[in-house]
Amino acid sequence: MTTSAVGRSPSGSHSYDEHHEKSRQAQRRADLWLLSGTILMGTLVLGLVGFPLFLRGLALQVKAQRAGLTVRPVIVTLLGYLVVIDSALNSFGWALDMVAHHTLIDRVVLTAWGNMFDAGYFWHYNELWLGGASAPGEKAWEIALLPIVFCMRLAAAIGFLQMKRWGQQWLIVTCWFGVVIWVGYVANMTIYADVRYANVVFPVVGWWLYNIFYITPFLAIPYLHTVNREIFAD
Amino acid sequence: MSRSSNQGLPLGTTAPYARMHKWLQRGLFVCLTALVFEGAFTMPLLAIWYGWPTLSFLEICSELQKVRFSDDSRECIYPYPLFGPAEGAGQKTAQDVWGIQPVPKWRRIGFRDLIEIRNERLARQAQADPARRFSAR
Repeated sequence: MTTSAVGRSPSGSHSYDEHHEKSRQAQRRADLWLLSGTILMGTLVLGLVGFPLFLRGLALQVKAQRAGLTVRPVIVTLLGYLVVIDSALNSFGWALDMVAHHTLIDRVVLTAWGNMFDAGYFWHYNELWLGGASAPGEKAWEIALLPIVFCMRLAAAIGFLQMKRWGQQWLIVTCWFGVVIWVGYVANMTIYADVRYANVVFPVVGWWLYNIFYITPFLAIPYLHTVNREIFAD
Repeated sequence: MSRSSNQGLPLGTTAPYARMHKWLQRGLFVCLTALVFEGAFTMPLLAIWYGWPTLSFLEICSELQKVRFSDDSRECIYPYPLFGPAEGAGQKTAQDVWGIQPVPKWRRIGFRDLIEIRNERLARQAQADPARRFSAR
């Protein structure tokens, strides 16, 4: 919401400030719940613990909105926090593969996931000197996406949730990055489809059913290009 | 002048895009819910599919390695030395049809198949032991 200074009028000199302060507090209160829930959901395994916290925050925000306070639109909240969760979940898996590839939990859970959905994470796993996934092109994608693109998406989401103009602009940029990621990553998997899917428990359709819910860039882009950008402050 | 002038529409949403924004919001909620449940159930379901609790995590790790490199003698080293070489480095037993697009040749692992694979292997090894004693004479 725009927070530019407003001249005081004699009759309602405190009403705008009061409204602004109440709105700010209501939004902050909701954000504490939303953020706690998001952090837990971003850990993958504690998702079910975080989800109710997130819903509580959303409920608080909707309640404040219905009470006439100026809070963030619900779709902005959902989009921003979903981008955070998307970045966190992707980073979580790939961080394990990049630096924790010889831990027991990684060698069991990630390679089991690979055997079930995407053999890029099973085929010759931990044979490269870098460790982790050995599928053609996979490590390169991880190196490009994890420390660069997903960090950028996370930063953009933070700015977006703060209703900053740069946040909205950078979320547009990084969501288009997301489109490039999807096309490039899927193309690489398709070209080396035998490596990725041969003798996998749930190949192709299984992979798509599992990963389709990471399509937040495709949902974000139509919104970001059609929202009235004046609601995002400079 | 910068706010939506239409009553009842969310901030930032104008009438031409109201329906699209409504469906996008629903889609976002579906994605969020699905990601939460996927995340929560991935690890337990994987563990059960691959034989836990009958097999411990270390045994599952070893069995997966045996399948991956087609080598019954492979075992997972735990804990793995922190700056040691890659576990599979230099292996020569993995079965692949090599070429510009390699094709792996391991056997597909069904529900709790690793338990059966392990038991069959132990039975084979137990049977092989008496034969070796005979041949040694």
